[in-house]
Amino acid sequence: MAQALLQPDKWISNYSDALYAYTLVRVSDSALAEDIVQETFLSAWKGKDSFKGDASEKSWLYTICKNKIIDYYRKKGRDIIQPIEGKDVSDGFFNEAEHWTTTDAPGDWGIDYQQAIESKEFYKILNGCKKKLQQLQQSVFVMKYLEDLDSEEICKALGISSSNYWVLIHRAKLQLRACLEKNWINL
Amino acid sequence: MRFLMISCKKAGFLLSKKEENKLTWLEKMQLKGHITICSFCRRFEEQTGWIILNAKHAHTHSEATLPEEVKTRLQNLLTD
Repeated sequence: MAQALLQPDKWISNYSDALYAYTLVRVSDSALAEDIVQETFLSAWKGKDSFKGDASEKSWLYTICKNKIIDYYRKKGRDIIQPIEGKDVSDGFFNEAEHWTTTDAPGDWGIDYQQAIESKEFYKILNGCKKKLQQLQQSVFVMKYLEDLDSEEICKALGISSSNYWVLIHRAKLQLRACLEKNWINL
Repeated sequence: MRFLMISCKKAGFLLSKKEENKLTWLEKMQLKGHITICSFCRRFEEQTGWIILNAKHAHTHSEATLPEEVKTRLQNLLTD
């Protein structure tokens, strides 16, 4: 009896805050994150008979939540009418020969790049920088690096071409890096 | 050798393609050549890699909690 391994009465106390934090960094909107977490628990509740016990209760709930997040991006991708071609803020980081300008060339951060950071301040600024990205740039960044999807899956989900994808992901990285250098390193 | 020279903008673009092993032989040579001589693009690669490393775990550093009224509502729904 796999269902016996589920304890729905304890889901809220055990997982709701963690799932909410997980969702919030991915969708950057608290009301939306609440909705997704709520839908996650309700879907899990409805589908509890299909729980086979292959994974733990926790990873089963995270999988449901992750799918809800990807669904949200998929729907949003279809709704966004945004010119992908054309100018972007990050174009200004390069001169006419497409080399870094003196002001926008990556500076020396003086940190160990193999080491993850614990600073709460850093994560606050990272979130703020992520929010500043254009919607599609944010979508591809989250799907690629936080949800670990590959470019083909992302293109399919968002209905974009692969050449658009490479432009979007590159621009997202350019802007996030520049925003962190400006607001965190040069604090 | 001119065909091996690429711009910083192109190098950054190719770095994303490299993550998925999508570079052609020529692009691999171009990127390798560029990164060897350009310290800014080396930094760009290191810094963006580091940002991604941290972004993946950002939720574990979050203090955000689901509002109590939502928890109560959900708890009632799940025990009915």
